[in-house]
Amino acid sequence: MIAFHALIAALHLLGSSWQPWAVVIPGILIGLLVHAVPGLTTSMALAICLPLIPYMSFLQALIFMTAMYAGAVFGVAVPAILLNVPGSAAAVGTTFDGFPMARAGKHNEALGLALAASCFGQAVVYLLLLVLAGPIGTLALKLGPPEMLVLSLWGVTLIGTLSGRHLSRGLLAGAFGLLLGTVGLSARGVPRGTFGSVLLLDGIPLVPAIVGLFAAAELFNLVGREYIVDDFTQRRVQARRILGGMRDAFRHRGVMLRGALIGSGIGIIPGGHAIANLLSYSVAKRLAKDPEKFGTGDPRGIVAAESANSSSEGGSMATLLALGIPTGGATAVMLVAFSMQNITGGPSFMRDHGDIVYAVILSNLAQVGVLAIVGIAFTYIAGYVVKVRLRMLIPTILALAVIGSFALSHDIAGPVTLAVFAVIGWVMHKFDYPVQAAVVGLLLGRGTEGALLRTYQMSGGHLGFLLTRPIAIIMLLLLLASTVLPHLRSARSAEQKERVLVK
Amino acid sequence: MSVNFPSRKISVDIPHLAFATFIAGWAAWYCWDAWHANAAVENLVLILPVSGIAVVLYVFVAASSIKRVDKPEAKSASPHAGLSRKTAVKIAGSMALLAGFVIAGPLVGFDVASFLYMLLMMTFLGERRPLILLIVPLLFSVVVIYCFGTLLATPLPVLILRGQS
Repeated sequence: MIAFHALIAALHLLGSSWQPWAVVIPGILIGLLVHAVPGLTTSMALAICLPLIPYMSFLQALIFMTAMYAGAVFGVAVPAILLNVPGSAAAVGTTFDGFPMARAGKHNEALGLALAASCFGQAVVYLLLLVLAGPIGTLALKLGPPEMLVLSLWGVTLIGTLSGRHLSRGLLAGAFGLLLGTVGLSARGVPRGTFGSVLLLDGIPLVPAIVGLFAAAELFNLVGREYIVDDFTQRRVQARRILGGMRDAFRHRGVMLRGALIGSGIGIIPGGHAIANLLSYSVAKRLAKDPEKFGTGDPRGIVAAESANSSSEGGSMATLLALGIPTGGATAVMLVAFSMQNITGGPSFMRDHGDIVYAVILSNLAQVGVLAIVGIAFTYIAGYVVKVRLRMLIPTILALAVIGSFALSHDIAGPVTLAVFAVIGWVMHKFDYPVQAAVVGLLLGRGTEGALLRTYQMSGGHLGFLLTRPIAIIMLLLLLASTVLPHLRSARSAEQKERVLVK
Repeated sequence: MSVNFPSRKISVDIPHLAFATFIAGWAAWYCWDAWHANAAVENLVLILPVSGIAVVLYVFVAASSIKRVDKPEAKSASPHAGLSRKTAVKIAGSMALLAGFVIAGPLVGFDVASFLYMLLMMTFLGERRPLILLIVPLLFSVVVIYCFGTLLATPLPVLILRGQS
């Protein structure tokens, strides 16, 4: 499994010069900082840094970009916990228990939990990659449009059924999101749902929509309050408590390891990183003896979501390195960096540059340690957000989000999208619709439509085609089980309770 | 806000029903728009079934927003019922100010618009210290315009801070 000659060459590459290591801390810091601004994304930060790539060696460039990626993977958790603003879809699951913990004054512990789980998830996936880089690539090749279709539908139904008290509202929010995600030009080249505006031809700007749905909805809810944390004695930022949170994460080793494995597996599929955290959260909740505690500030929720989202990003790196296929915006920018160095990604890259692949994997393992240290300092500083009065914090975040949206879209479409979705998000929140379901639907809409269309074309319209895709069938059965079983179980327990009351 | 029908002993959560109708109505319109644009499978493969599912789900949601008033939970069926008038005004005002900033930013320039937005929003949310009301918006505008223009190489429309963007 491990090509030892390449591994030894990789160790030599990393050990013979300090230069590859010089970019690790700046990379991690940029990645962490990027997500402090709502509206900025990892892909954007990577794209901004692209002009630096020609000045670096290929290995140094790869390490720099993966360090940014590693920082960003954890960075998204910070606003998710402190402000209920997930910097990307990968942190949606983190908000479920992260923000309730922050509101309860346990922001230090929540940040520590997220940091430890994130580092653990990354360590697991890169250890797996070290051993299984080749087989993972082969597995990724076996997953085609039908599997991606089922995975997307799984993501939307999972989130729709997971959050909120009403199944129909959750599913309606998911369907709403899926439809919104397909607005714009179709595969046939015809505009749909654009109201005749050219600004919507490329679809609804995703990041402004997500920031609007999440950030503004929550910020509007905070209007009228003084601080995020009501009790002033709970507003302290303490490194001791952050470290305590990190220690606490290892009390949930099983949840963390399961999350890391789920993330590693799902991450290799395009778009998988958006779902991995939700899937892991859902599994953790289902297997818990006290699932009712999830969503109220349970450390297991943070650990499950964070270990999965960080390992899923490693999984997407595996697909990039092994197959040359980007599974998301950030890995797509990395592929651009490959071409800037006149290197083509894919199986030939694994064959011809095995030493570099192993060097990247080993450096990422080392980066986990650096992230843990830099992350503590970063979370300590970020934790001071709870001490800022909301009458300053709310306008600052909203203004940053609007400006960030404009910078992303380069026209008024970004800010307008943010404002419109801010109102929709707030109304959804008020009527108990899970905003997360709409967000995941919005993110997966375009991909789901493409996967469904390709599946239809592959099958020629015959359902029997599915029988030739065992992985898709298994995933479909799991989807049905994860949607139906919990409701059957809760209906049965409600019936039992009623019987007991009657007696 | 809910409407009671004493003779029929039912209560309808009108705002919620209106919102659900908005979602279902948009889904139906979107499906029609896509169909109208091109009725090929490639164009409707996802939109048609998902719109149909959305309309079916709407029926369930609409049904759940109609409650019998003799049921004890009907009184607290609406989660938005607890919103006080003062809070509602604050939230509506915050939304209006955000809308103003979104429109004014690209037109006037983000330096002036963000300064005014921060100033107005902070005042609206209760900040009364003149020095804070001057320094925070000013610092925010200068730092953000500088960072986006210089560090992130993303120039923004500005009116005054031209050298920084």
